[in-house]
Amino acid sequence: MESRVAIEHESDIVGARQKGRELAGIIGFSSTDQTLLATAISEVARNIVTYAGRGEIILSSVSDGTRHGIMVIARDQGPGILDTALAMRDGYSTGNSLGVGLPGARRLVDEFDLASAPGVGTTVTLKKWLR
Amino acid sequence: MADLVNQTPAQLLSREMGMTEQSVERRKRIVGLTAQDLERIAAIRDLVHAHIEEYTAVFFDYLAALDEGRPVLTNRSVAERARQLKREHLIAMVQSDYGTAYIAQRLELAMLYSKAGLDLRVFLAAFHHLLKNIGVTIMKHFEHTPMEGFETFMSLKKVAFFDIGVIVDVMVFERERVIRQQQDSIRELSTPVLQLRERLLLLPIIGVIDTHRARLVTESLLRSIRANRAKVVVMDVTGVATIDSKVANHVIQTITAAKLMGATVIVTGLSAEVAQSLVVLGIDLAKLNTVGDLQGGLEEAELLLGYQLVRGEHRMSRAPSAET
Amino acid sequence: MSVPILKQGDILIASIQAALSDRDLVDLRDELASRVGRLRSRGVVIDVTALDVLDSFATRTIRGIAYTAKLRGADAVVVGIQPDVAFAMVQLGLTLEGIPTALDLEEGLVLLRARKADRDHGK
Repeated sequence: MESRVAIEHESDIVGARQKGRELAGIIGFSSTDQTLLATAISEVARNIVTYAGRGEIILSSVSDGTRHGIMVIARDQGPGILDTALAMRDGYSTGNSLGVGLPGARRLVDEFDLASAPGVGTTVTLKKWLR
Repeated sequence: MADLVNQTPAQLLSREMGMTEQSVERRKRIVGLTAQDLERIAAIRDLVHAHIEEYTAVFFDYLAALDEGRPVLTNRSVAERARQLKREHLIAMVQSDYGTAYIAQRLELAMLYSKAGLDLRVFLAAFHHLLKNIGVTIMKHFEHTPMEGFETFMSLKKVAFFDIGVIVDVMVFERERVIRQQQDSIRELSTPVLQLRERLLLLPIIGVIDTHRARLVTESLLRSIRANRAKVVVMDVTGVATIDSKVANHVIQTITAAKLMGATVIVTGLSAEVAQSLVVLGIDLAKLNTVGDLQGGLEEAELLLGYQLVRGEHRMSRAPSAET
Repeated sequence: MSVPILKQGDILIASIQAALSDRDLVDLRDELASRVGRLRSRGVVIDVTALDVLDSFATRTIRGIAYTAKLRGADAVVVGIQPDVAFAMVQLGLTLEGIPTALDLEEGLVLLRARKADRDHGK
């Protein structure tokens, strides 16, 4: 089951995290975990708005056979990140931020993947599993 | 997802279990269901439909004969619903359309069995018995072409195993859900937050704490701060023998989070060993509000609270307020 | 102005409702700065009780609001951070460096009055 949210304007961020919270709730995540997830979605969605202008968030339930959880894919076709290792270093920031964005989002979830290439775009994949 | 409110329990379960169209197709591939199988099944559709009542009876008679099978039959409305769903299932089983709607149907029946506490072994035995009956009907029908009869029966069996796969997954899923809930209850009982007096909470940490338990403690504490409108929390770690970096970080995070909610945390009972571990981990103990023993900590807490209460009346020396 | 700003004596109370856009937050900051100046308020309470998420942008903006108020001579306090939200913030590494926080509006007002009392007594 999948849900796609277009991110075209900063006002879309709230919608994306509400849907994320909703889906997380259905899957069985606790209220605290729902907030962690909604916060992570807010961060990656905001990254899309700030750096790419537009993109999409895809929410889906996942299972690896034994565990159940939620997957969030934040995708854009923006300028891309030149040095992904640098971007993931805590405290690093190019924009007007607290420097928490991606490294921070990673702390809120169980699995995190960043794929990006200059001129192509960026895809951030987050996964959170039910305990 | 605006239609969430109108989802049936089976549809909700379908979502929780990740039963996408993709995963359903995967299940079909796993049992090796082909177009030819669907054709063969279509050919016996009317034959099976003609015997629906008989087959349904066979299944439930088998359940009734076993102690472990009775749970589904004791309650009349449950038994009737089960029979109706079984009838619908048998009809759908030979419709050659096994998509998300078919799955939802299976889930509904599986949920019913799960709630009634039907023993999985008994279900499998009854289902097998039912299949045998259908098999006999098919072989009689293909009396003159037994190979075709056999192959038709094998095609139907693929669907049967597809069904079994779903039902077993549901029962396991539901059982795990119960276990998870029980574990949560147990954990909640072992991480008590006590209200000592108005606005003062005591959080005794006892025994070994791992990251998961530490997290539960934090959640419990933060909720208690809100519920009790606590201004001071005395976190007593006298009962903690060792602490690793993950847990230490977690404790720091707990203290920071409590401050965000306007509560000051006083840590008491820090043994020399644990204090040393914290120093080694690079944690600045000076930043923590620590007091040697629990008694001292409680006195400090009362001082803080007392100061709040008489503020403006007496010019007491300024105690730290809840400032981040 | 989509955020209600109440006045209680010389204290302004801004109750941030759920799902505020980035634009709204920035407008709030400017509006509070303006009112603090005009009304010579001594304190500002930023109430985030209704927020179910405080991400880095929201936190940054709230800090901006508090600092702006301070520049205009008012004390600021943030109140109403929910348990889940506090937890998420510390996980994310967000802080409200230097800005006092309190449990709720009532506690926030107590804090502001105490600070004012301290200041009036020349501390």
